[in-house]
Amino acid sequence: MKPPIRVLVVDDSAMMRKLIPQMIQKDKEIEVVGTAINGNFALRKIEELRPHVITLDLEMPGLNGIETLKQIMRTHKTPVIVVSSYSTEGASITMKALGLGAVDFVAKPTDLQPISEVEQELIAKIKAAATSKGVCALPETPVKVRKTASFSNKPASKVIAIGISTGGPNTLQYLLSQLPGDFPGSIVIVQHMPENFTRMFAQRLDDSCALRVREAQSGDLLLAGRVLIAPGNHHVRVRQMRLADVVSLSNDEKVNGHRPSVNVLFHSLAKGFGARGVALLMTGMGDDGVEGMGAVRDAGGTTIAQSEESCVVYGMPRVAIQRGYAQSAVALEALAPTLQALCAPERGASTGASAGTNSG
Amino acid sequence: MSSMSGDRGTELRQIFYESAQEILQSLNEEALKLEKHPDDLEALRSLRRAVHTLKGDAAACGYKELTSLAHQFEDVLTGEDLTRSATIVETALTAADVFSEMIEAHHNETRVPTGEPLRKLIAQLGSAGPAKTAGKKTAGKATSHKRSCRAKKSIATTVSQKSVAAKCSPRTKSAVVKTKVVKTKVARAEIETIPGWTEYECLSIETARQKSVPVQHVTLGLDPNCVMPEAALQIVRNILGKMGEILAFSPAEARHLSVAGDIEAAVATRETPDTLTQKCRVPGIIAKIKVATLASLRSATTAAAEAPAVEYEAEKARTQQRAEENSRPATAENLLRVDSERIDTVLNLVGELIIGRSMFQQTLLEFGKRFPKDPLRARFSDAFAFQSRVLSDLQRSVMKIRMVPVENLFRRFPRLVRDTARICNRNVELVLAGQETDLDKGILDALAEPVSHLVRNAISHGFESAEERQRAGKPETGTLRLAAYHQGNQVVIELSDDGRGIDSTAIRNKAVAQGLIHSDEAQRMTETELFKLIFLPGFSTAEQITEISGRGVGLDVVQNVLQRLKGSVNVESTPGRGTTFRLRLPLTLAIIKAILFRVEHRLYAVPLNAVAEMTRIHQSDVHLVDGHEVLQLRKEVLTLVRLGRPAETTGDSKLFVLVVSHAGQKLGLVVDELAGQEELVIKALDTNLLSSDLISGVSILGDGRVVLILNLAAVAERRSRVRNELGTAPWGLLLPLAEARQFQELSTQDRPPQDLQNSIGAAAEGEL
Repeated sequence: MKPPIRVLVVDDSAMMRKLIPQMIQKDKEIEVVGTAINGNFALRKIEELRPHVITLDLEMPGLNGIETLKQIMRTHKTPVIVVSSYSTEGASITMKALGLGAVDFVAKPTDLQPISEVEQELIAKIKAAATSKGVCALPETPVKVRKTASFSNKPASKVIAIGISTGGPNTLQYLLSQLPGDFPGSIVIVQHMPENFTRMFAQRLDDSCALRVREAQSGDLLLAGRVLIAPGNHHVRVRQMRLADVVSLSNDEKVNGHRPSVNVLFHSLAKGFGARGVALLMTGMGDDGVEGMGAVRDAGGTTIAQSEESCVVYGMPRVAIQRGYAQSAVALEALAPTLQALCAPERGASTGASAGTNSG
Repeated sequence: MSSMSGDRGTELRQIFYESAQEILQSLNEEALKLEKHPDDLEALRSLRRAVHTLKGDAAACGYKELTSLAHQFEDVLTGEDLTRSATIVETALTAADVFSEMIEAHHNETRVPTGEPLRKLIAQLGSAGPAKTAGKKTAGKATSHKRSCRAKKSIATTVSQKSVAAKCSPRTKSAVVKTKVVKTKVARAEIETIPGWTEYECLSIETARQKSVPVQHVTLGLDPNCVMPEAALQIVRNILGKMGEILAFSPAEARHLSVAGDIEAAVATRETPDTLTQKCRVPGIIAKIKVATLASLRSATTAAAEAPAVEYEAEKARTQQRAEENSRPATAENLLRVDSERIDTVLNLVGELIIGRSMFQQTLLEFGKRFPKDPLRARFSDAFAFQSRVLSDLQRSVMKIRMVPVENLFRRFPRLVRDTARICNRNVELVLAGQETDLDKGILDALAEPVSHLVRNAISHGFESAEERQRAGKPETGTLRLAAYHQGNQVVIELSDDGRGIDSTAIRNKAVAQGLIHSDEAQRMTETELFKLIFLPGFSTAEQITEISGRGVGLDVVQNVLQRLKGSVNVESTPGRGTTFRLRLPLTLAIIKAILFRVEHRLYAVPLNAVAEMTRIHQSDVHLVDGHEVLQLRKEVLTLVRLGRPAETTGDSKLFVLVVSHAGQKLGLVVDELAGQEELVIKALDTNLLSSDLISGVSILGDGRVVLILNLAAVAERRSRVRNELGTAPWGLLLPLAEARQFQELSTQDRPPQDLQNSIGAAAEGEL
């Protein structure tokens, strides 16, 4: 049998220090080797216990989560999973933590969600973190990118739908920062993330790239150079309307345990956009989006999977490639040029979307 | 939570109840800190963190109401605006109370009290808002009123503010509304009428207007009696659809209707507003109609544009401050929560070991006597000495586990003092001292009630009003001092006020009036003795006394608890200067050092710390004063209590006198013999076996002999009662016990008292 994954739980709530080990130790492969009440103790215990993965609460007295994380990243490079709360501020610090190199985050259990779900998520993410290929930390404060003063507000040449999960935040930030402000395509992203967090996430991404990123709202237009993030707890679909292409949100049932679901987005892309659609599956656990990617391919769209070596967790892309739905596997570094190449040349393809430019 | 298995859920909740107490405590403390120093940013942060943790924990337990309240509160506390500290303090204290009640209710599985009043309070606090950004906020609010309503169930205002801010980012708006660059402040008046339509809807309106098709803005109020809003929406849609093209329609679904209130629609139509109004008149469904031609699509962008920027700045400041926090000292780590019963079990076992040690010692002594030359004897002795030392350490360690700092008790008082002082309209400052003093957890828990009682009493009756104090030349704010310290084997808890003091004359009069004492008796009584009267049960119900003397409500309760804890309470008071209540408590209940003595061949014990000295006197030293036997010991006159038979007439016999002090009073106990000093493991007294208030417990010695532990409080009380009732010298208090059959075996095997007495005396003096 494999040696267990040694986990250190850092949380200032006595209850969480009890609850989290209880939850994750249900899995035989995980062993909680210790708990710590704040950052100072955590750092000491990391020295002593050498855990494989750390779960970290961000709101703590003493050495707080962010500072602790910085130190861990500086000296230990142990993968960290942030356990954060549902509040707005919680979301914002969580985003910051992800920027600092936390592998992923899990929202603390609440009554909104059965505890078993959090449990599974946490276990899965710990396992993923344990096998993750180190940490890719980004600069703490994203480089403020100057957006071009006036936007072209052209309809998008192509609609790129991205499905991404574990490891997503940093990967996306990298990808989007590589795209220019005049990127002709429009991007819709389903990142598995709870409500509240997606808004902060979008804001953070917006601050760090030349594209215009925001959390999607029903009726938002798919414009060139725009990125829409599916809000947590809502499905997002893309649609062609008479005047323009839009996204629409819904509160439909979860699909395979996900809302937003990548499959829902991909299927809507296949249905409405045919060859104008690009489906991209990136790092993440599970297989959400794989079926939908098949539909996009069948509808004549382009399908891409992030290649294994650049994935934090090689899950969704792997299944997509195994099933033969992904037409190509592209490394993270090569994705931006690939997307640009896909969107740029075929001007003729952008039919059906004539409006949105009316007052140009 | 359905998916939480029963056991685990229960266990979790148990942890929650415990940890929640601590969280609420710190919530109280931080609030009080903030009240004292309204600009203490750290207190505000800690307060927020407490609420935050509570929220997380409550959520995990599935306590929705509690979670949502805490969440709401936390969100309102976001930001570091100290201008509203006072309101925050009030809200936080109320919240602590409400949360506590709710948790209590969950714990006892009773009905959970409503959190609505608190919710309102929090909402008020929220709407007061940070002062600096108020202007901007209202602007943002007005423009985005409808939008925020449509935002997914954002509970607190701040949340919806942010969501609005995110939605109304200037860039995205500019995508649609490009021509409106020059729109100025005039726009703001109209902003409110523009509903939160989606981008596509805005695009449609804009397109229609550019094609010069008039766009009518229809606002419909649904009849509150309308039972099927879903159907109503469909009807409205149908009507409008017939008039022209519906460009925008909100809400999209009926379930959002209650939140958003009105139906807002934009229709591209050539019909006049009047026609539209007429067509929309559907009795029973539509209650109010407003139609206006949409002149331009002046979106909410101008005002909202500033919001994200402001927010970002605030966020930056917060993170910076957070970074500064990290140098704070660490709190207790590696705390282990153990059921106190488990510790008691260990303590009991240690107790057994101590008894075992006595047995061993006894055997060793006999062995030494029988084989004085045996080399084994020395080795036994060494082994024994070693074992005793380890055992002593073990005992100390186990006792230490039970010890908690008095702070755990004291920390509740700042809040109590504040609240009581407010009610009584007194200015009182609480000074705490000696919080680090350790005391047995069981004792500490039991003390909560009596000390609270004394504190309340002191504030409501002990202190004068501010004017009165001024007139008396005292500082307006009264000082209430709560202190704890070790004294010998005891812990003393002292509560002193600088109030008006107790009027001993009033007590005297009242006691005589109530028939508790004779009037001539009353005249003779010292102040200390008089003060003791206020602890009598009869005294407690006397309302007038409360008014006259300012004390006396339920003080017998205090007395009772203290007696149960084998402690004592006494009062000192100087009229006009203040009153001090002094509570003395044993360090721990389980094991005491005691002096053993014999009365009528039975073995008794008194706690060593109550013994002031031991002396041997001649019968001729005893004098009779007013029917009482007294002894002049150095310069003190000591009342004697004969536990056994009355004095013999032969004046030459020698008496052993144990001088004990109880609650500030000294007594001389006349005993037959002294029998040594022992560490006693106190066992509960079986009331079937022996029921007398004179005995507070039993213990077993190493050789199996039973020792009865004398209840000094009862003895002292009995003494005064006997004196009052009979007017004769008390004697034979313990005689009825001597006749009890159960303990006949006690009288065998005596040790020579003579040399023991000396050694005990030395030991006792060393100890004291």
